[in-house]
Amino acid sequence: MMNEKQVHEMVIEANNTPEVLERILRVIRHRGFRISTINSVQMNDCNNIKITVTVSSERPIDLLYKQLDKLFDVSKLSYQQSTAI
Amino acid sequence: MKATEFIVNALRKQGVTQVFGYPGGAIMPLYDALYDGGVSHLLARHEQGAVMAALGYARAGERVGVCIATSGPGATNIVTGLAEAMADSIPLVAFTGQVPSALIGVDTFQEVDILGMTLSCTKHSFLVEDQNDLDRIIAEAFTIATTGRPGPVLIDIPKDIQLAEMAVETVSELPVLPALDGLVEAQVTAARALLHAAKKPILYVGGGVGMADAVPELRELAAALEIPIVSTLKGIGSPDPEHPYYLGMLGMHGLKAANLAVQESDLLIAVGARFDDRVTGKLDEFAPHAKIIHLDIDACEHNKLRVANVAISTDLKLILPALKMTLDIAPWRLHTLEMKVETAFRYDHPGIAIYAPLLLKQLSASLPEDHFVACDVGQHQMWTAQHMTFTQPENLLSSAGFGTMGFGLPAAVGAALARPDAMPVVVTGDGSIMMNIQELATINRAKLPVKIVLIDNQRLGMVRQWQTLFFDGRLSQTILDDNPDFVALAAACGIPGEAIVVKEQVQPAIDRMLASSGAYFLHVQISEQENVWPLVPPGVNNGEMLEQ
Repeated sequence: MMNEKQVHEMVIEANNTPEVLERILRVIRHRGFRISTINSVQMNDCNNIKITVTVSSERPIDLLYKQLDKLFDVSKLSYQQSTAI
Repeated sequence: MKATEFIVNALRKQGVTQVFGYPGGAIMPLYDALYDGGVSHLLARHEQGAVMAALGYARAGERVGVCIATSGPGATNIVTGLAEAMADSIPLVAFTGQVPSALIGVDTFQEVDILGMTLSCTKHSFLVEDQNDLDRIIAEAFTIATTGRPGPVLIDIPKDIQLAEMAVETVSELPVLPALDGLVEAQVTAARALLHAAKKPILYVGGGVGMADAVPELRELAAALEIPIVSTLKGIGSPDPEHPYYLGMLGMHGLKAANLAVQESDLLIAVGARFDDRVTGKLDEFAPHAKIIHLDIDACEHNKLRVANVAISTDLKLILPALKMTLDIAPWRLHTLEMKVETAFRYDHPGIAIYAPLLLKQLSASLPEDHFVACDVGQHQMWTAQHMTFTQPENLLSSAGFGTMGFGLPAAVGAALARPDAMPVVVTGDGSIMMNIQELATINRAKLPVKIVLIDNQRLGMVRQWQTLFFDGRLSQTILDDNPDFVALAAACGIPGEAIVVKEQVQPAIDRMLASSGAYFLHVQISEQENVWPLVPPGVNNGEMLEQ
């Protein structure tokens, strides 16, 4: 399951609830990923936010992708594979 | 109409007839609405008892459990139940009272950030900010709790919101849920090809089968394939125990034939199971020769611990029938059958002292067809899984993924309300029962005919066993030879009972217990030396079991 450490940039669109950042950050931490950069902006309709986050881990990114995708508040999710560090 | 009246109406609209809880300051408005709201409420004696009862109700009755607690300590007392529901995928909607909106965040009396605290043990959660959101929130909560992989949802409601007037008084119609994805032909073809090519295939059945209501489909598939089957703790009851190649539970305390067969297999078909560490033992040596077909509604389980050759996340009721075929595996069938016979448990235990495995086998044979057994956690739980026979998954209520001591007694309370015609049985230990002993009073209050079998070794037996085997016999904090007089304790709660100490007392005592009209407490004294066998020690593969 463990590989060499990889860096990935994820883009997450989610409902703009007060706790949505906590939800997402908790999943990233608990599933074994470290955040190196994060940016969160409210989208034009105010009902959604867009989070761009760079994460790293030895674990496959697909495990985190599926866990975040399962969150009720997350509406759209994508990631770009980056290089090993 | 006040918001709390609306909530009760919304519960009725969801088909909820029974809730479990414990009142307190910040939830008083909702309790006022429950007073004559047309939904039955069972008062537990601790919020953990209430949430565990809701979980037992959900699991035994295959519906949503609902529990209610007040803010602060009431809310924190249900956290273990939420985590239990998360680990064992039990549909639960929990309502908590919260301090008034304006007082959130200023360290008010009985205030805790329960939403923040439970982010890690809920499938989703809501803090209600506007009473007019309740219609949407309650509908979403029940949908989230019950769809996909079931789980717990928390709705935290400030007291001022509970007391507020609704703009719209009518509960919306229930949402029509979209159908699950259908089968993908390429996946089915790939799975069938693996199955067709396998010489030593085995079905590895988990709790997902019962939750998907796919027991008939599983049994039809197993019969068509004439294939060996093993089960997880939560899968017990899903395979037909009469299936000739059913080998029983696998894993740390699995049956020898089950573990050996999985280690030898060349194809493992995981059905609603998730490669839990108590199942796999040393992960990289688990079923080392097997290709994997992984069927699970939750795609997060695919490739999490074991890479699958074919992974399918759809309704088991669809995929299981699609795998039917005739297999050419006669030598494998014969081999597993021989292992099953050669490694079968023996019950010719010497001496007069009561042997728990034999007692549980006798209990199992004595129960009426319609029954359930709620377990606690520890040695008695493993003995129950090994030595009792279950014909439906909802007949064994065991805290599997979370291993919550104290689950059994309250779970039986809830299950008894869900299945009033079933014989309600608790099998517990002297450690576990004390964790929620206060629910004896609930059993008495609700006049539930729960038959409680306490297997007492005056030890925290499972920990004691590990201390004996792996910690040089240093029995640190596991000796309970100062236990209370349990029969007297039960009697104080209005529950009659008796204590037995030798084998020949067992069957007559079981008969008296089952013939009694109400609750009954059977205290069973066993030797403190008894261990659960087999045992896969930590760090080795499942083929290297320790045995008696």
